[in-house]
Formats: sequence, structure tokens, C-alpha cells
Amino acid sequence: MNLKQYAILKAVTNVISGFSMVTIICLGVAYLSFKNAFVFQDIKIEITNNPITAEKDIEFYMVGYKKHECNSTSVYGVAYAEDGSHSHRLDAFTKQYLRNVRPGEEVPNAWTMEVPADMREGGRYRVSMTGDFVCNYLIFTQEKSQTFDNILLIVDPRTK
Amino acid sequence: MMLEKEQKIAKQVERWDVFARLMPTAFLLTTMFLIVYGVIDFETAFYVGLVGFAVTAVVWWWWAIFTIRYLLVTLNRASKKLSEVNRDIKTVTTEIEALKNES
Repeated sequence: MNLKQYAILKAVTNVISGFSMVTIICLGVAYLSFKNAFVFQDIKIEITNNPITAEKDIEFYMVGYKKHECNSTSVYGVAYAEDGSHSHRLDAFTKQYLRNVRPGEEVPNAWTMEVPADMREGGRYRVSMTGDFVCNYLIFTQEKSQTFDNILLIVDPRTK
Repeated sequence: MMLEKEQKIAKQVERWDVFARLMPTAFLLTTMFLIVYGVIDFETAFYVGLVGFAVTAVVWWWWAIFTIRYLLVTLNRASKKLSEVNRDIKTVTTEIEALKNES
């Protein structure tokens, strides 16, 4: 290999190495940003039919937007009694929520859940809604979970 | 001894040069291959890259500090020796002039 060829080889490897470094840094920054991002931003969830009268279901309403493409794998709520004495798991949907809403725009969502059978005595509760998601961004896939706490739920005593 | 050390530093510089030229591309291609074939996930590649980057930075930093210190010592020694040579030349010049004047 003569001097000119050696100089060309050095220049080419320099350029390739530079591009590789830029690619590694960009991918690293994008990955960190994606990994640390919440699924929903500017999120609000509330129960719209408090107090829940006899034989009615719990109606949830949510607004928020997703930054990335995320699909929910499981959604459930836990209703904690305000006195801290007990809790109930809410996972029976009587009306489903919109799944896989578009990322980047605010899409209102609503769903309805059954009042658990052991909640018949009624009372005041604080609900935590949790969603588990699988999110995709560029070449990355990440499982995420997000919880929205402190949603007031008031249940009237049930007759049956 | 001094020459040996300088040759050693020149070799180390050459090795750093080759490392900087090849390592990013080698790392990128290897991790892409392993990710595509499902051997590792992106998170593992990310942390391996992060650790590699950190280790390289620390090793390079200490190498640079020791090398700069050595170069400074060499430079100071050379400067001192040059001053001595300069002083000797001045003495010789003065003596030659004195001899000329005597004759």
C-alpha cells in the first residue's frame, strides 16, 4: 500500500468512524428519551357519575395524549377505602376504552366498570387506575406502566 | 532509555488512533447484528456501550495525563540541556576571543 492509498484509507475510516459515533450517540439519546417518557401526558381521569347509585356502573372519562405508539396490554383499577381499611380491584369492564389511540393528539377516552360485588355497602374510595403498555419508537420497544392516582369514587349502598 | 519510552508513546498514540477509527463502527455493527438476531436487547447494548464509553474515557484521561507529564518533563530537560549548551558555547566563544586577543 503506497502513501496515497494509506492516506485515503485513513480518511475513509475517519469518516465511517465519525458517522458511527454520531449514530451511536443519536440512538443512545433517543433511547433514553423514549425510555424515560411517560405513556400519557397532560392526563386527567375522573369518574363522571359520582355518587354511583344502585345498579349503576362506574363511568370513567380520560383526556391526555400519547407521545409514542403504545398499545395497552392490561388496564385495571384499585379502589382504596378512604379510611384505609380495605381495597377492591376494579377489572370488569362493562364498556371498553378506545385502544391504541393515535399518538401526538389529545383523544378523549371513556370506559365503564362494574362495581365489585363486595362493595355493596358503599362508601368513599380513592381509585388508582393502572395501565400496562407496550410502546414502540423507531427501532425500540419498551414495556411501560403508568398509574393515575386519587380519583374520587363515591358508591351508594346497594340494595341487592 | 528515553528513546525507548518515546517510541513506546508513539506506538500507544498509533494504537489509540486505530482504536478510535475502528471501535465505534465495530461496536455499532456487532450490537446491530446481536440485536437483529435476538441475542441481546437494545437496553443491554445501551449499557454495554455506556460502560465501554466510560472505561475508554477514564483510561484515555489517565493515559493523557501521564503522557503529558512525561512530555513536559522531557521538554524541561531538553530546555535545560539547551541552556547548558548555550552557556558552554558562550564560554568557549569568550575563551577563543581571549586567545585571539592574546595572540
